[in-house]
Amino acid sequence: MGKVIVITSGKGGVGKTTTTANIGASLALLGKKVCMVDTDIGLRNLDVVLGLENRIVYDIVDAVRGNCRLKQALIKDKRLENMYLLPAAQTKDKTAVSEAQMIELCEKLKEEFDYVIVDCPAGIEHGFKNAIAGADEAVVVTTPEMSAVRDADRIIGLLEAADLRNPRLIVNRIRINMVKSGDMMSVEDILEILAIDLLGIVPDDDEIVVSTNKGEPTAMNDNSRPGQAFRNIARRIDGEDVPLMVLEEKKGFFSALAKLFKS
Amino acid sequence: MSNNEWPERMNKKPTLLVQRTVRGGQSVNFDGNVVILGDVNPGAEIIASGHVLVMGSMRGVVHAGAAGDDDARVTALTLAPTQLRIASHITRPPDGGYAQTDHMAEMALIRDDTVIIEEYLPPR
Repeated sequence: MGKVIVITSGKGGVGKTTTTANIGASLALLGKKVCMVDTDIGLRNLDVVLGLENRIVYDIVDAVRGNCRLKQALIKDKRLENMYLLPAAQTKDKTAVSEAQMIELCEKLKEEFDYVIVDCPAGIEHGFKNAIAGADEAVVVTTPEMSAVRDADRIIGLLEAADLRNPRLIVNRIRINMVKSGDMMSVEDILEILAIDLLGIVPDDDEIVVSTNKGEPTAMNDNSRPGQAFRNIARRIDGEDVPLMVLEEKKGFFSALAKLFKS
Repeated sequence: MSNNEWPERMNKKPTLLVQRTVRGGQSVNFDGNVVILGDVNPGAEIIASGHVLVMGSMRGVVHAGAAGDDDARVTALTLAPTQLRIASHITRPPDGGYAQTDHMAEMALIRDDTVIIEEYLPPR
């Protein structure tokens, strides 16, 4: 029996879909059988980030309404053998699926897969309630901005009210030089407000834009720093004890030289 | 001398104990005193007809003495509310933000018709 994990944030644009795609891919790389579910009906993105857009025939609405068998709606990834996507519908809206239908769907997927990763839409309305309905665990994504942290706090309150206790936090898009100069909130500042367990930190990197446009999760790239961060997060989800990534700016030749002279 | 000699009338009010962090969007509304064992985060509101005591950081909106009681007080280990109201008085933090203090706890109360914040001194 697998586990259903919902990736949520409240605020839009903090990296829920990117996080879902990369955690899913990382777990698949660990040899787990993974299904990602896009619940952002009407504004689907996960298929694009995974580069599977042109393979969609049936979607989540077809699957829950019985227009097709669940297996028919699942898209097998083109690179990883054990990674699947259940895409959102694009021509409907959030009310096309009910909470009861989501619970039933998650129960069915859990029987097939080790991990079911649910990508939650932004907001706290129907789409959010659907996404968390069938979840066993929740992961909250935030960025080091006050507005994102406020929304994360609100979401944690709603998750707790929905009996999803102990959600874990991912702080995305950290720029370590800005944190050091005091221009960006540090992970410690964020944890002081949110007071939940930290699952991982992800550095801000241009590589994310490139991989998103290419439709290939950066976690599949061995040399990518955010990819490494996501692979670490996946191992922690799978129960391994992995230390937090040390975020240092990449040292150029000259700064390395300057350091040499200083010491 | 300690500054926590509260009027007897307030002691007789019922008290609500909240054993969790009150997060953004959540609200505690009670006819009596409210004690929070946790933080009150930005975007949360605590409204009480009596005192409010926060055993943690008070960062949200708080209204003590909401039914018009000028003797109500707000006490917190870290008192940094978005807005603090006692009876019909409304205050907000200075525009530069709060100064760092090494006080164990702080208390807001009305003295001479003005809301003041002072260090909370435990009874001896």
